[in-house]
Amino acid sequence: MKITQALKMAAKSISANKGRSALTMLGVIIGLAAVIILVSYAQGQNMAMQKYYESLGENKLTVYASTFEGGLDVSEELANYCRRLSDCVAGFTPMGEAMGQINIKYGFQTMDQSDYETMPSFYFGNEQFGLCNNYTIAKGRELSSMDVREYNQVCVLGAATASTLFGMIDPIGKTVSISGQPFTVIGVYKAKGNGTTQYDEDGENWQEVEMTRMDRIVVMPYTLTRTLNNNQPVDRYIVKAVDSSSAKRAASLIKAFLSGIIDPNYGWCDVTNEGVWQEEENEANRLQQMFLGGIAAISLLVGGVGIMNIMLVTVTERTREIGIRKAIGAERRSIIAQFLIEAAMICGIGGVIGIGVGYLGTLIVGKLAFGLVLIPGAGITAGAFAISVALGIIFGMYPAAKASRLQPVDALRAD
Amino acid sequence: MLIEIENVFKIYNEGRESEVRALDGVSLRIDRGEFVAIIGASGSGKSTLMNILGCLDVPTYGSYHLDGTDVTELSDRELARIRNREIGFIFQGYNLISALNAYENVELPLIYRGVGITKRGDMIMDALRRVNMADRAKHKPGQMSGGQQQRVAIARAIAAKPPIIMADEPTGALDSKTGLHVLEILHTLHESEGATVILITHDSSIAATAHRIVRISDGRIVADSKNDPAPANEGGATA
Repeated sequence: MKITQALKMAAKSISANKGRSALTMLGVIIGLAAVIILVSYAQGQNMAMQKYYESLGENKLTVYASTFEGGLDVSEELANYCRRLSDCVAGFTPMGEAMGQINIKYGFQTMDQSDYETMPSFYFGNEQFGLCNNYTIAKGRELSSMDVREYNQVCVLGAATASTLFGMIDPIGKTVSISGQPFTVIGVYKAKGNGTTQYDEDGENWQEVEMTRMDRIVVMPYTLTRTLNNNQPVDRYIVKAVDSSSAKRAASLIKAFLSGIIDPNYGWCDVTNEGVWQEEENEANRLQQMFLGGIAAISLLVGGVGIMNIMLVTVTERTREIGIRKAIGAERRSIIAQFLIEAAMICGIGGVIGIGVGYLGTLIVGKLAFGLVLIPGAGITAGAFAISVALGIIFGMYPAAKASRLQPVDALRAD
Repeated sequence: MLIEIENVFKIYNEGRESEVRALDGVSLRIDRGEFVAIIGASGSGKSTLMNILGCLDVPTYGSYHLDGTDVTELSDRELARIRNREIGFIFQGYNLISALNAYENVELPLIYRGVGITKRGDMIMDALRRVNMADRAKHKPGQMSGGQQQRVAIARAIAAKPPIIMADEPTGALDSKTGLHVLEILHTLHESEGATVILITHDSSIAATAHRIVRISDGRIVADSKNDPAPANEGGATA
């Protein structure tokens, strides 16, 4: 029997048994779509986490130093010490933050602390503020060491601050008023968030909100902190390490250095390595991914069992058919070829539909859960397709191979 | 000699208490062009004999030569070829594939034989015309009466013009008028094409239409005699 003939025969058999074919396909579709969606969901979650951590800045140490009465400015000492640690420290900036009634105005536009959802954050840093906090300049320039030294009244704006105050106007060189003091805008940072300011009522989209908040900032030289921040000195610093292992080393060195210069009866210091909980979070993520992968494997198995059941349920019917075919002269290999092609066709069609459903589901889930355009990986798609089609073919073939070995009269007797 | 079986046994559960000897040392020779009826009561072993003659089953012991070839020595593939080219089967239960229509059912043996599509079409329609079913070519078995299904089954058996036609109780599930019609078709095949016809039945009035009657009982041949065929329409094929 020619292959084209076998193909036609299989196609005829599929269309003649629509119910059975559809049920078999359903098993493949559900199994495949579930695997693709679940695995993509896990990957999407990883991507969203990764994006969040990247925007925070990796290998970042936060240093706190304070007297019991208030801040303690160790900026100079720490900056000098960090310069000596150049093999493990890539950058250093004070990270003062203005509290209380502070606002920024340009023309009729004002941003102040009155509304939690739109309030800007006012930071005091140095020329490495962007480097340490993972901001890059979109327009203009970063603060310079001269701005810091000379107490220049200049500021760099986050993307959201700039667009709120200036709209389409170019902010560079314009003068804004910060708590009544004139400041010149020298630069604007690139946006970190995706620009949406949508706020989820249940706090579900906290990452997204955080990201937008990151762009709603104003950065000024830290030397101005006393004049603008109720005489509060800087008490927080960011140290950017070269990599995660140097972050650990730098953390202990800086801790030791600060303990040496701060009298424990007078003040305290602390160094936190954000990479540590990032690693923990990554580990938790890996576990979740394994868990979802397990669920996906189970759905594939359930789909496979479904296919197997349908195939086995029809054994009697098909055994008789095989008996008839053998009685009128079909060779074993013709019968096996027909059933093989039939199973491959059903599972192939089911597989393609399953991939379609899986992609669609992934897009929807990605949009709803992460606000991302999530596309399933080619590897997982191909793998799941191969497994479900293989299951279908194996279980579709098994009864046929068994029945084709019978004497025609025994196969005919099946009912 | 076309068919020659020698001392054939078919034994189920051999050596156990439940041992059944469906065929118990049967020898039979059938020549080309004969019209033989094998008659016996239910359980006499006549269907087992036909299954072996038709290469649908293998004997436990004994030899079977078909046209000089020792069938018991043949591979699965060679047996398939014999079933396809040498023998046309007609079963009591029709054994049509329910998902396929009349045309497609008749087409199957021709496909397995490797007949090209154009020639196939002619052969199928010719076979369907001979059983008067050409107008039902697109009907599926479920849409046909028993007699119509049996006629399609006959068309399937004769489409490739095999030299041997084997019919196992072909009229068993049919009313007498339809049964008679089926019998007429078999006789026409025998007379006009010179086909060798082996007809299995439990009904002596149907056996009476054959040229030779072989009587089987308890797995043994008990009588084998020439017969002056009674006209089919007079003997009356009873249900």
